[in-house]
Amino acid sequence: MNNVMQIMSYSLLVLYLITFLSYLYDFFVENNYFLSIKRIVLFITLIFHVVYFVERTFFLGHLPIITQYEIFSLIAFSIAFTYFLIELLSDIKGTGIFILLFAIIFQAKSSLFIQDVYVVNHVLQNYPLGTHVITAILGFTAISISSAYSFMYLLLYKNIKSNNFSIIFKRLPNLEILEKLTFSAVIIGFVLLSIAVILGLIWLPSAFPEFSYFDSKIISTITVTIIYGIGIILKTKRILIGKRFAKFSIYGFIFSVLSLMLTSVIMDSFHNFSN
Amino acid sequence: MDIVGISINHKTASIELRESLHLSQDEILEFIPILKQNVFSEGYVLSTCNRTDIFGIPKSGKITYKDIQKNLLEFKHVEGLSSEHFLNYFSCGAVKHLLEVASSIDSLILGDSQIHGQVKEAFFLSEDLGFSKTLLHKLFESAVRVGKRTITETKIGEGAVTISFAGIKILEKIFSSFESKAALVIGAGETGELAAKHLRESGIGKLSISNRTYSKAELLANKLNGDVIEFNNLKKSIHKFDIIVSATSANGFILDFEDVKLMMKERKGKMCSILDIAIPRDVNPKVADIDGVFYNDIDSLNIIVNENLKKREKEIPLVNEIIMEEMTAFFKWYNTLNIVPTIKDFRDFFEEIRLDEIEKIKYKVHDYEYEKVDNMTKRIIGRILHNPTWNLKRISETGTNFEEAKIYSDVIRELFNLDNKAENKSDNDFDNNGAK
Repeated sequence: MNNVMQIMSYSLLVLYLITFLSYLYDFFVENNYFLSIKRIVLFITLIFHVVYFVERTFFLGHLPIITQYEIFSLIAFSIAFTYFLIELLSDIKGTGIFILLFAIIFQAKSSLFIQDVYVVNHVLQNYPLGTHVITAILGFTAISISSAYSFMYLLLYKNIKSNNFSIIFKRLPNLEILEKLTFSAVIIGFVLLSIAVILGLIWLPSAFPEFSYFDSKIISTITVTIIYGIGIILKTKRILIGKRFAKFSIYGFIFSVLSLMLTSVIMDSFHNFSN
Repeated sequence: MDIVGISINHKTASIELRESLHLSQDEILEFIPILKQNVFSEGYVLSTCNRTDIFGIPKSGKITYKDIQKNLLEFKHVEGLSSEHFLNYFSCGAVKHLLEVASSIDSLILGDSQIHGQVKEAFFLSEDLGFSKTLLHKLFESAVRVGKRTITETKIGEGAVTISFAGIKILEKIFSSFESKAALVIGAGETGELAAKHLRESGIGKLSISNRTYSKAELLANKLNGDVIEFNNLKKSIHKFDIIVSATSANGFILDFEDVKLMMKERKGKMCSILDIAIPRDVNPKVADIDGVFYNDIDSLNIIVNENLKKREKEIPLVNEIIMEEMTAFFKWYNTLNIVPTIKDFRDFFEEIRLDEIEKIKYKVHDYEYEKVDNMTKRIIGRILHNPTWNLKRISETGTNFEEAKIYSDVIRELFNLDNKAENKSDNDFDNNGAK
């Protein structure tokens, strides 16, 4: 692996850790002065992440959306960037540690296992692929964020129920806000995943001769999308509300991660872009 | 310093006695002229449901706190009230007490900001009745500053420290906005009324009251722009409410587990918060096990109250620092009050000599020469008096030793015979005649 890119990859992970620690500190020690510092740290991390992507694109000669670990890094970036926007645009504070934790997990996996792929199949270097991959990544980002908000919901729910008025009670936004954020993220995730699936179904048969509608990755992604679609319907019909919807969002996320891992690691799929 | 005063508050008397002694604004308006006539040259009366404070500058040295108590008890006779229910203050202690009251550390509810407005009102009333002069006015300024500084520089007013506010804090963690929410208050007694008021002030969308006695519920509902739910129909209606506050004096449960379970079924799982602030409890605490139901009784609300009170207590040293700073500033000013007349007389004494002397040459020299000499003598007097004047002010402003400033002042007055201006004048005339 290229030394510069390796150093940058590890540095990025360290920056994410520093950002997470800054948010963790601010969560426990409420301090107006530190509020702006942690934002600056996050902003620097995001800028560095962009530089890292540019560097990779320049060295490898393709957008860093080809391998699984490049995609993990992109997911980490989009989670952190989305959170950055949420924090700037809304007055919701105190949720950073829960969301950035997801970004760290994805970036850690990417930084530790990423490899440089110089030779890329020519079918992967076109416009439909870019749109398909980016919408899929943003879709997964949205459902990751929804599960983070759901986790916060359940945590606060439990705290209020058990009369535990500790730091969680003090720092998290109220249950209704958390439920709204979860639902918004689920809708965004569903729409983006639907676009990714539709684009894929249109483009993949022409790009891959061995394409099959029974491919494990296609089935799992369609299943995830359908599950979230059903969840949205049940929520609008007020069948899945409050704690039940929060649990649904978490289970949905766990299912999507597991199916992604299973189809990527265990099962054989034509979706293995790096080959 | 001559200020003297008495205070009856939650530390010294029962709520019944405090309430009986409470002076309404009309009563204060009536009482101040009596105080003016018999006790104080200037002063103020602060009377709230938790305290009655009467402070002022005695008209003569013979007047003590006993006279204030006597006048108060003659004005408003309260059965069972005696001198042992009063705290008595003098001089520095009186100033400190007033500032402590204004800072809210002497309040029944530590950090209760209501007292700031009540102190202001008391002083305004005093001023309106011509009962407040320079000294009280300055003291009032210090008190207001202490009140403001405790809010801005400390956290003594932060966090919910009453059961009702603690309840609101929990509701704020469940619901994003109260505007679209419906609340039901069961019980139209004092506690229920307070809770209903807090809900209305928090901007609740719909407020309903239910009470065993319909007329009481109606009265409260009219007062707070709400509607009434008949007590007999209570269980049929509870599913319409997102927030239920129960504060009755009933002996058994008004809402049982099955009632709330049915309610949640009808609400299709939509969250509901039940604040049971009654003793004994009105709602079966087992309802807390139902999904989507947030049940809080007095004990759980007290967790928040006690935690916040502890936090407020930690702020007391900071408030005391503010009080000390303002006390020092006040006494600095106060001590200069004694020195200012001396400085003025001292300057007048020299100015008179200068004018006398310069008058002698007025018609002997040209106008421009006269003007020059006039200016020059002014400068000379100014330079001579600069150091003694500055030092006198400095000694008095240190504020630590009032006696020291007084000694210096007395010495100057004695040496220059400042207390007998007529004598000084005749001496000057004699000297002038002699010189002639």
